[in-house]
Amino acid sequence: MADLPISTHVIEFPYTRTLGPVLGPFLTGLRDGQIYGIRSNDGRVLTPPTEWDPLTGEPLETSALVPVGPGGVVETWAWVNHPTVKHPLDRPFAFALIKLDGADTALMHAVDAGSMDAMSTGMRVTARFKDERIGVITDLVFIPEGGE
Amino acid sequence: MSAQDIAIVGYAQSPSWERAELTEVQFLFPVIADAIAMANIDRRAIGFTCAGSCDYLSGQTFAFVSNLEAVGAWPPISESHVEMDGAWAMFEAWIALQHGDIDIALAFGSGKSSPGDPAQIYPLQMDPYTLTPLGADPTSLAALQARALLDSGRITEREMAEVAARNRHDAIGNPYAQVSGEVDVGALLATPYVTAPMREHDLPPFSDGACAVIMATAEKAREICENPVWIRGIDHRIEIHQPGMRDLRESPSTATAGRGAGVGDGPVDIAELSVAYTHQEKILKEALGLGDGVKINPSGGPLTANPMMATGLSRIAEAARAIQRGDAKRAVAHATSGQPLQQNLVCVLEGDS
Amino acid sequence: MASANEPVEGASAGEGPVEGASASEGPVVMMDYFMHLEYHEVVCPIVRRYAASLMAGKILGQYSPKSGLVYVPPRSFCPVSCEWLGEDHLIELEDRGVVTAFTIVTPVQYYGQEETEPFAKASVLLDGPGGMLSLQDILEIPPDEVRIGMRVEAVWLPEHERNTDEIGNRSWGSAAGAIVGWRPTGEPDLPAETFTEKVY
Repeated sequence: MADLPISTHVIEFPYTRTLGPVLGPFLTGLRDGQIYGIRSNDGRVLTPPTEWDPLTGEPLETSALVPVGPGGVVETWAWVNHPTVKHPLDRPFAFALIKLDGADTALMHAVDAGSMDAMSTGMRVTARFKDERIGVITDLVFIPEGGE
Repeated sequence: MSAQDIAIVGYAQSPSWERAELTEVQFLFPVIADAIAMANIDRRAIGFTCAGSCDYLSGQTFAFVSNLEAVGAWPPISESHVEMDGAWAMFEAWIALQHGDIDIALAFGSGKSSPGDPAQIYPLQMDPYTLTPLGADPTSLAALQARALLDSGRITEREMAEVAARNRHDAIGNPYAQVSGEVDVGALLATPYVTAPMREHDLPPFSDGACAVIMATAEKAREICENPVWIRGIDHRIEIHQPGMRDLRESPSTATAGRGAGVGDGPVDIAELSVAYTHQEKILKEALGLGDGVKINPSGGPLTANPMMATGLSRIAEAARAIQRGDAKRAVAHATSGQPLQQNLVCVLEGDS
Repeated sequence: MASANEPVEGASAGEGPVEGASASEGPVVMMDYFMHLEYHEVVCPIVRRYAASLMAGKILGQYSPKSGLVYVPPRSFCPVSCEWLGEDHLIELEDRGVVTAFTIVTPVQYYGQEETEPFAKASVLLDGPGGMLSLQDILEIPPDEVRIGMRVEAVWLPEHERNTDEIGNRSWGSAAGAIVGWRPTGEPDLPAETFTEKVY
């Protein structure tokens, strides 16, 4: 196949999305160095916060947002040996489902653990916020609690 | 009100290519023609057509409209499209047949994965605020699920490798498979992790390919087909999107869809399941209540041939083929969409007595 | 620890626990995401033949005996008659024709737009066996003088300058890299009645 002509086609677009009354404060919180979950009507704290209770469909209001984390427990993890250009880190890292302190559901995020040996189910991780933040999910990564 | 009896009267698949030289429409063309020929009908007898494909995969808005050129949309036809696997196109066509004003329907799925990078494309189908910006890709999501299953003790890495080895063995001789052959489980386990705990063999190939299925109402089926494959039940369910809000070790949507399709209403001989990641076979088998006597993925399954957008429909075609060949009387076919196992479709097929 | 689970009102109170937080300029209400995907597709065999013909200064089409339609670029099948077309259905087309339809685009300056002035894109029905090349550029006259029925001829790049870099499976009617555009021949216009069934 080496000599077959290839045509290259690029699709790109700079999307700008409005955030609304739940995701707006959530991402504002990340910009300001705080993670929020949202309390559903039955008392569970959901992260990431959603505009509706995923089980009942009931709307959830801004006022139901509550701080969670910055630390939490890894419920499951995957060691990414070959990060893509879309991944939050350009060196091997873990994706993990992290149940933050105060939350009842897990947030999917990246753990900059350095090596696969540093990862384990049940370990504690904590948020490491970037120095420059704008209000996006990648304003932070997680690291093993107790230092790198 | 009970559903009308609908039967599969024709189907066809393309080979699964790592990189097709033909365009999607070009390789879809003979697949549809062959399904129509097998059903022994005139193309114009098709009352409704539904297609499954993904414009993000094709890299072009409204790419699916071009696919209609392979159907022959002149004189004008009644058609629909789902931005999903062809199995869901088949579900929509099955619903159309239930209305009783048409008696033949065509469903197909097609996709060309080779021009793009699935690891970069599929994050776009995830939550745009919390997951897409992380580049949350299918392999990583499957790996999170696999780790959870390993931690629960319900599976081992060796058992995952055994699924891969069995599938590759079973794919030998399947003209539609991309990967096949005899492999040693120990040798597989010695290979490095791609995204731990997934190794290369735990992951599906990404294939270019297409599949088409033709269905008819009972009366028409008996008129045109000597060996119709009856759709005894079909159902699909979806779960919460956020992976952290689900128990990834289970598939309640598959279980509910299985009950809705009536899996447990009779013995199951074979099950063609959309197992794209080795650990998912265990989850799906348990969700459907399939015993050890059920042969899973005799075709080799998606771990050997994975034409995205046609993989699920291909399971239905392979199950129908097995029934018509006499290898099974009653079969379960399963399709999945979203990551990992977020949405699932289950179909129960049975041959004539 | 900040996770006292006290309810908060609206945007963050600004008391983030992390030092060096970016200056709060009010609530974040929008999120940017730059989406970028690349597709590298093998040019299919029949379009390779078409590309090669352009390099040789010829336009190759494909004829469907069952429908009588001519396709350019060739696509290996006729979607109307559902007939597979092969090498033996390839025919050489003329490089002169008539404008059967056109549009004048006033470019909106969205992301990726390269044009700034209004431009015309025309469908050219080729003489002889036929074939329609769409979205062609009309040269030598301003866009508002482009008209239906205008006789045109292809303006080819010199052979040594031709390339097929832009030719792919998706190039609807494109002859980019070989034919720069179409210039009026000066012949009398063809009446629209002569091609009413072939406007696009």
